[in-house]
Amino acid sequence: MTASAMTSTQAGEFRAAGTDLSERRRSGVSTGPLIDIAATSDTIGMHWGADGSVRLGAFTTIAAIAADARLAAAYPGIAASAQGLATPQVRHLATLGGNLAQRSRCWYFRNPHIACLRKGGPDCPARSGNHLYHVAFDLGPCVAPHPSTMAAALLAYDAKVMTDQRSALTIGELLGDGRNGGSDNALLPGEMIKSVELPSPLQGERALYKRAISRTHSEWPLVEVCARAVVKDGAFQFVRLAAGGIAPVPLRLAAAEAALQGKQASAANIASAAEQATVGAKPLPMTGYKLDLLKGVVRDLLEKIAE
Amino acid sequence: MSTMTINGKLAPLPDDPDALLVDVVRDALDLTGTKLVCGAGVCGACTVLVDGEPAVSCLMPARSAADRNVTTVEGIGAEKLHPVQKAFMAHDALQCGFCTPGFIVEAAAFHDSWRAAKGTAVPSREEIGAALSGHLCRCGAYDGIFRAVADACAGRFDGEEFVPPRMEARDKVTGSAKYTVDIHHDGQLEGVILRSPFAHARIGELDLTAVRAMPGVSAAISLLGDDRIVRFVGEPIAAVAARDRKTALAAIAAINLVSERLPSVIGLDEARRADAPVVFEKSTRKKAGNVSEGAGAPASWKGNIRGPSAAFSKKPKKVRSWIDSARSANNPLLVEGTFRTGTQQHACLEPHAAVARFDGDRLTVHVSTQAVFHLMELIAKRYKLDHDKVRVIADHVGGGFGSKAALGVETTTAIELARDAKAPVRVAYDRHEELSVTGYRPAAEMKVALLPSDQGKLKALSFVAYADTGAATNSTIAALARLIYPAEGKELADFDVISNLPAGAPFRGPGGPPMAFALEQAIDEAAVRMNIDPIALRKRWDPDPNRQRLYDWASSLEVWRNRKPVAAQSGRYRRGVGVATGYWLYLWQPGSKVEVAVKGGRLIASTATQDIGTGTRTVIANTLAREFGLEPHEVEVRIGDSKLPEGPGSGGSRVTASVIPPMLLAIEQLKAAIQQNAKRQPVPGSNAPWREMLAASPDLSASGVRPEDSRRMAPGIQSPLKQAGFMGWIFGWMMRRFSNLAIGAGVPSSVQVVELEIDTWLGHVSVVNVHTGIAVGKIAAPALARSQATGAVIQGIGYALYEAREVDSRTGDVLSGGMEDYRIPGIADTPMIDVHFDQGGFDHVLGGSVGIGEVATVPTSPAVANAIHHATGVRLTELPIRPDRLVAALKGRAAA
Repeated sequence: MTASAMTSTQAGEFRAAGTDLSERRRSGVSTGPLIDIAATSDTIGMHWGADGSVRLGAFTTIAAIAADARLAAAYPGIAASAQGLATPQVRHLATLGGNLAQRSRCWYFRNPHIACLRKGGPDCPARSGNHLYHVAFDLGPCVAPHPSTMAAALLAYDAKVMTDQRSALTIGELLGDGRNGGSDNALLPGEMIKSVELPSPLQGERALYKRAISRTHSEWPLVEVCARAVVKDGAFQFVRLAAGGIAPVPLRLAAAEAALQGKQASAANIASAAEQATVGAKPLPMTGYKLDLLKGVVRDLLEKIAE
Repeated sequence: MSTMTINGKLAPLPDDPDALLVDVVRDALDLTGTKLVCGAGVCGACTVLVDGEPAVSCLMPARSAADRNVTTVEGIGAEKLHPVQKAFMAHDALQCGFCTPGFIVEAAAFHDSWRAAKGTAVPSREEIGAALSGHLCRCGAYDGIFRAVADACAGRFDGEEFVPPRMEARDKVTGSAKYTVDIHHDGQLEGVILRSPFAHARIGELDLTAVRAMPGVSAAISLLGDDRIVRFVGEPIAAVAARDRKTALAAIAAINLVSERLPSVIGLDEARRADAPVVFEKSTRKKAGNVSEGAGAPASWKGNIRGPSAAFSKKPKKVRSWIDSARSANNPLLVEGTFRTGTQQHACLEPHAAVARFDGDRLTVHVSTQAVFHLMELIAKRYKLDHDKVRVIADHVGGGFGSKAALGVETTTAIELARDAKAPVRVAYDRHEELSVTGYRPAAEMKVALLPSDQGKLKALSFVAYADTGAATNSTIAALARLIYPAEGKELADFDVISNLPAGAPFRGPGGPPMAFALEQAIDEAAVRMNIDPIALRKRWDPDPNRQRLYDWASSLEVWRNRKPVAAQSGRYRRGVGVATGYWLYLWQPGSKVEVAVKGGRLIASTATQDIGTGTRTVIANTLAREFGLEPHEVEVRIGDSKLPEGPGSGGSRVTASVIPPMLLAIEQLKAAIQQNAKRQPVPGSNAPWREMLAASPDLSASGVRPEDSRRMAPGIQSPLKQAGFMGWIFGWMMRRFSNLAIGAGVPSSVQVVELEIDTWLGHVSVVNVHTGIAVGKIAAPALARSQATGAVIQGIGYALYEAREVDSRTGDVLSGGMEDYRIPGIADTPMIDVHFDQGGFDHVLGGSVGIGEVATVPTSPAVANAIHHATGVRLTELPIRPDRLVAALKGRAAA
């Protein structure tokens, strides 16, 4: 369930495909004017550079990203993340820009009758209430995990985001550090995402994506990880892990990455590095389980990459 | 003005920026095959093709369809049926049919692109599961859908149409079946309900004059009770009818609510505290809802606790003393445990809905209901109308599962608004209403102690259940433990714990699944302690002849014979095999009538019952056709209309056993009349004697009333109430007297064997294979009975693994009010399901058939839990067994 709203201004809320915004309009969580935005040739599709890098237009649909063979060969973590999110009928409409700028999926935020920080309220009702699906890295006043699967994947790839006002924003600059309870991102008023640039992939790198959910498909992730690695001569030369579903913003799992740098790609090394995935975690009373799942997903992905 | 091309025709698009494609398709263009269910892109019922690609029309702004090609389900099979439609019909890949149009659109697109790329190769279950991962079916028709899509892709449905096993299948796969939400009268208004934002409050003066004067508003009424107290978030306060939903919503938002907040209490634990605020004072207790299929017996109340209801106990004091002694003696055979189940929502895909219309003094109400006839009686009584002035219609019903058996607020509100507005009014709940205030299977906490004797018999059972019934009472969980596994003594006590939450309601075998979850795990544990095969122990302790045959079947299954010892594996993935037993009462409705007629040479059966996806229309057609040597599609079935002869409600698995016997009596009379009136007898040796006689027959009719069953029963077949002695007799008498339900002899039974795989790293359970053995007598409609059986397993898997209503325990807000947060099984969660029907045991019932709906879902959750124990050696005592609970249990830690 990706989004379309780019960011809000006094003038209105941006709407691209509307797959997030329409639900909020129907429920009454979002009111006020709409600004429909449409693609230009520059803001849709995949624009390949000579060095093998690519620029993805913000209006490119998730389905197009999921289905592109060249993208899947060069950036398998991006393609797999796109394949893993929402449902086929949503992916056919939803855009990359909307996915990055979608609003929180917190069940308090989505209830029009309940005040919360994201809606200008005084506190976070999930923190003291029912936060079964919320963060395990408690980094700020709002405890809803960031909903963008693509943001975690782009974080793993050091992507840069172009807007109509700024260029080369990191995912951290786009979404903030999680300490702003009032917003799902750090876009300026009226700022619109135009495209995303992916640096050229590393020689011999592999990448995978996985989300832990209770069912088989089509569920918001309890935990999700996009993992990239270069394994040469049986050892990890490069490891990059970015996780979603666990914090107010996607997180790099730096301690686990460091634990494997230069190490043999053995099951034992991977298992002990996976234990480091939760360094810095601060679970809420109901979210301790996410740490088990996070270790499990990291271990699963690294074992598969090392195969 | 911009336009789109829809099903090949140009259509205008509205200028309203908030108009969504689904609303334009359904309301402006009357293409009602496309359904609005979740409104959030989760369930897929609204799927249409946009330029050939499946898209969520419930989230797509109408203006983005400008200059694009849109195809709805009506456009898929417009000229001739698509192979996918034919395959869905042939494989009975549908039940209530409400999700079917969305599945058809997506599956047709998948089929077309698959065939273009891969010819007639057969897609795997994984490929089909991924392609249809954006669709949800609450009936659980997934088993048939897998087979339908695979066969259509393989080219097996390129040719002629098959005659489908389900009578109305064609209407459901083409989107032409009309449900209550699809009814549209000229001048029809939309009704919307203002609901309480508070868990407990007294509402002051409610001034609706300003609202009535708003442009577009035609009526505004109070829905408050005489005490003006609201007892849960979402309790109705007022309602408005306006020209459209938007206007009605704006009107209820403008109502000025004056209220005095009262102290509230939420949930099982808080409501049991001695100092908890009381929800129902003595004078208001009759306002509480009912979570069972029958009327409740009197019970004592103390604060918010109603109970114990313990009439089915047997030597309870002795049981307590035996168990206490066993505990102090550290008897290793004493099994004790506390089990908890979650609150399960019915989550019908068609919401509760009613369309009321007055024509002079006659009232016609289309209702999404499980009981057209009884609802007519209730409406007539409530509004003091004659029965012949009230007509209730339900041609198709998009799921009920117990939640649509009563006269609901949606119906009374539509009627009262229509009366005030002097215009037809529709009230259709939105998804949050559907997932919060329409009832649920209450969560329960169950304390169980089970004591085998030294001789290996079952000596004593203690079962005490506390049910989280919200603003309702009459939970019967522990009582059901009396009617299986006879013991020297049983201490059985049921308590309702009332709190400021919406009222629970009957849900498919009320009390049965939670009872089985606790008791069947206790039995399984006893088998482990006694070092005996769990099926062999059940065979020893459970003498019911129907289940004895099912135990023999289950123990001969290869997966059971190859079962390894408990917790024999280590490593990340572990497989387990578990068994569990379930039963339900065989109920039938006295007074049920069926009329059969020949008219213009055609056979017609009529009765005021309804088909909520269970297959009633087909059961009637098959029986009638078989008796005359015809094909089911040669006869006509008239149901879904209270004007027809009194028929049964679709609850308590009663319909089949209520309609077949009177129909057989009527058929016998009709045959005699046809023969009497025949000018000549059929040619000797004719292979279609009745066909000839019907063609020549004058118009005749006959009707039958449900007879009592034969008293000649097979050995061991008796009423389950016999086990409960005199109290059982009283209970049976009360059910018949106050709920018009007879409890027959013989026990509908199910034994299930579940094989699953656990991912211990991710706390994920995949149910791989399910064998479900069912004894409900003769199967009247085999393909549809199979659909019921597999759907029941899938719903049981939802109960076991995914489904739980979540609330805020301070405010009483339901948080899981959307389909993304209330998680029902998807197609890829469907195991391979082997269905075994044991067709004996009910020869004393005319026709030999009883209902299947409820019994088939009772044993699934304990079979899953027992399989998890078999795989890991860890017993999961709380439902649903989500990843958070599983990873915690595997680490020996308490889940949050």
